[in-house]
Amino acid sequence: MEAEYTLAAELDLLEPGSLRLYRDEFDDLVLVRDGQRLPGVRLVRCFPHSAIWRMLAVRDAHGREVGIIPDLRELDERSRQAAEAELDRLYFIPQIVRVLDIEERFHVAAWDVETDRGRRRFEIRSGHRDIQVLGTRILIRDADGNRYEIPDYRRLDRRSQALIDSQV
Amino acid sequence: MDPQQKTAPAPDSYPGEALPADIRAEIAPLLAPDETIRLAVTTDMRLDGLYGPAYLLATDRHLYSIHPNGGRPDVARVELPRIVSIEVQELYGSNALKVRTDDRGMVVALFSKSLVDRFAQVPERLAALVRQARPEAGAELVNRSSRRHGPPQRRCATCGLVIPQRLGVCPNCLDKRRLLARFWSYSLPYWPLVATSLVILLADTFIGLTPPLLMRTLIDNVFQPADKIAQSAGSAAAAAAGIRQMRVHLPLLGPLSPTGALLALVLLLLAINVSRNALGAVRSYLLARLGQLITYDLRVEVYHHLHSLSLSFYNDRDTGRIMNSVTQDVGRLQDFLSDGLQEIVRDVLTILIIVSILFYLNATLAAFVLLPTPLIILVTLRFGHRLHMIYHRLWRRWAALSSLLADVIPGVRVVKAFAQEAREVRKFDARCTDLLRGELGAARVRSIFGPVMAFLTSLGTLIIWWVGGREVLGTELTLGSFVAFTGYMWQFYAPVEGLCRLNHRFQHAATSAERVFEVLDTAPEITDREHAVPMPRIDGRVEFRNVTFEYEPGKPVLHDLTFSVEPGEMIGLVGHSGAGKSTIINILCRFYDVTAGAVLVDGLDIRDVQLKSLREQIGVVLQEPFLFNGSVAGNIAYGNPQADLEDIVAAAKAANAHEFILELPEGYDAELGERGVRLSGGERQRVSIARAILRNPRILILDEATASMDTETEAKIQEALGRLVRGRTTFAIAHRLSTLKNAHRLLVIERGRLVEIGTHDELLAENGIYARLCRMQSELSRIRAV
Repeated sequence: MEAEYTLAAELDLLEPGSLRLYRDEFDDLVLVRDGQRLPGVRLVRCFPHSAIWRMLAVRDAHGREVGIIPDLRELDERSRQAAEAELDRLYFIPQIVRVLDIEERFHVAAWDVETDRGRRRFEIRSGHRDIQVLGTRILIRDADGNRYEIPDYRRLDRRSQALIDSQV
Repeated sequence: MDPQQKTAPAPDSYPGEALPADIRAEIAPLLAPDETIRLAVTTDMRLDGLYGPAYLLATDRHLYSIHPNGGRPDVARVELPRIVSIEVQELYGSNALKVRTDDRGMVVALFSKSLVDRFAQVPERLAALVRQARPEAGAELVNRSSRRHGPPQRRCATCGLVIPQRLGVCPNCLDKRRLLARFWSYSLPYWPLVATSLVILLADTFIGLTPPLLMRTLIDNVFQPADKIAQSAGSAAAAAAGIRQMRVHLPLLGPLSPTGALLALVLLLLAINVSRNALGAVRSYLLARLGQLITYDLRVEVYHHLHSLSLSFYNDRDTGRIMNSVTQDVGRLQDFLSDGLQEIVRDVLTILIIVSILFYLNATLAAFVLLPTPLIILVTLRFGHRLHMIYHRLWRRWAALSSLLADVIPGVRVVKAFAQEAREVRKFDARCTDLLRGELGAARVRSIFGPVMAFLTSLGTLIIWWVGGREVLGTELTLGSFVAFTGYMWQFYAPVEGLCRLNHRFQHAATSAERVFEVLDTAPEITDREHAVPMPRIDGRVEFRNVTFEYEPGKPVLHDLTFSVEPGEMIGLVGHSGAGKSTIINILCRFYDVTAGAVLVDGLDIRDVQLKSLREQIGVVLQEPFLFNGSVAGNIAYGNPQADLEDIVAAAKAANAHEFILELPEGYDAELGERGVRLSGGERQRVSIARAILRNPRILILDEATASMDTETEAKIQEALGRLVRGRTTFAIAHRLSTLKNAHRLLVIERGRLVEIGTHDELLAENGIYARLCRMQSELSRIRAV
């Protein structure tokens, strides 16, 4: 009798123990797998919103998938740091720590915020499409396509909360 | 010369971006004496991932990446001749520019998505500088990696302000006065109507304001003298006799008895009421007529203009918005024209007249009475703004609720199949709760607004009672004037409130107007050149000479395409989706003009011939045949409305459509319904082939004409197409290579470049991309056959 179909067989999971990641002199990420060197790989988050350190697809220089790293935390320390730095660069999502002002003109809200990357002003075109509320977490896409995140808006100061409440 | 060089910007044009003085001072000592800056760009992100200015600078020798960090800025320098590649990486939330030499690679600039436009030309400019420093550098210096990304940014081209989703035009750049002036230009042809309406409006308003004055006359000239006589008379009988002998002097009428005067006033009031209402009826009809006439003109003009616009106009906008411009926006304008404008005129007039009457009656009292007016204006504006915001938020919640319904109701089979009813109900409940909260908030504001306004309005009356009342007691003011004052007070505040609310109404109309004028002001991109000649009957020789085309600047879809096609030849276009096959067709039909190079038909540049005469000789069969609401015959004869019945039936026979058409009880006269819903996909396709056959085009385009058919239908259509292509230059796009078996030659397109050209056998022998595609498809069809 044939073995029952298992979904897990579809996944080409990479064994964390056999992997090494580092950055070469071209500033490219290199994957070493079972001693084999694969330069210029790119990491793609399968769940850029909901699971940023899990299920990371690795693609080679031609865009073909090499496999999936199930959890970044299982990598060795240096590989993990290299991957984190790369992901940090690939996925630029500043976290908003304070909302200084929201000014609405012609139904376009201009936010003036303090983020972990510095002060920023941006505009949002349409409320419900560009502000995604997941419980108390808020994901924002501005008019130009930049991304911002508020991990938990109930933990911001009162004024920030009131300003955000007026928008969602 | 390298063809790429032609499209690249001139390397010595220096995008004039001013660098801060401290950065310039910092960089100056690094430059050689004869080294000149050729490119300078400021970015909004530093390499460490923090926001802040950073600079990218290129001279004729080096590339500098400068990052301020408090003290001396970090400067990285790359020698231009050593650069072998320039990469643009589109990342999530930002973009990066990276350069490589043969032993090193580094990101030289990060920039947020807001600066995409600013950086669009930077890689090519840099590449041009590299080529200048190292002439043997290849054409392929620039690499762009991109993932699918969201909609392009929408900012106003003039002021840079973000354009709201629901508007589509920049509300900031709306010149409202210019808009209004433009409207006047539309009403000018109807000036007699405009003048009559205005006169009637004036008369109507004037007459409407007379009743309180009549009341004053009635009290001061009739009741009060009568009352005095009654007070001074000893008995009731004496009083009655005295009043009977009393004479009242009314203007224009001689002395009258009190009853006579009363009758005169009553008749006057009757006349006023009759004429006022009659005038009102005439006025409202005339203004409605005026509004409708202007709307009609505008609507027809908009639709006419829409048809003269190029395809790119339609690509940039969604159908719904264009339809709205023709229907709703024009309608809303009419609303504003026939109701809004007359309300403005009437309100302003009413206010002016009442104020003058009040000041005429008693200047001090008038000044006192008008005191609360600024307060009322202020409150109305504030509440109005507040309400507007609340309504907007409510509208958003309503939209969220209906989009949920629109999403879930059609998917109800899935909901049931996965047993998720409870969850859908919970989702709906949550949205309803939001809506409830919003509505309650709105109700709170509304229920405060009414009473507050009523109270403020009553302040005027209080003032009249106190100030005016004391003047009546002091006999400085007659009782009649006092009553007239009270009457005018009530008529005064409604127009004030109306004018306060006008702003929003005007704003709506102005955006509608702008959307309408946006359509009218868009100039068609593809037009006949001045000296364009009619295209003579086409032989069918088609030539692409170094054709490059970009929909968006900096992102070429076709690169330097050169090929030529003989008359009567059938050409198959092969390539992955998005390779540029349809773009080639669009350019051949001249839906778009080439960015560089030229397309020649029979040796004539297609931009030099009249558009209509070119398209008349091109026939198109699309994957999704588009049939209009109408009869079968009407659809076949769409391109030749004058066609004989014989020709229509002959074309249908040639297209293998005759048989099924006769199966329809109404035959060729059968109505197809919207988009031909009464026919199957294959039947619709055959009708559209008949349409192309009847037109007898010299160049034929088959764009995936059989992609969505089953094998049997496809065979029928192929047979029909076989007849159609005979003796005509044909371009056929197909994913299924078997459809192209009749093609004389095949063009293989990859990423906008022509990579292979030749007959089926030649390409197989070449063992390149086409051969690989063929092998893959024959394997697939073998699997299908099993």
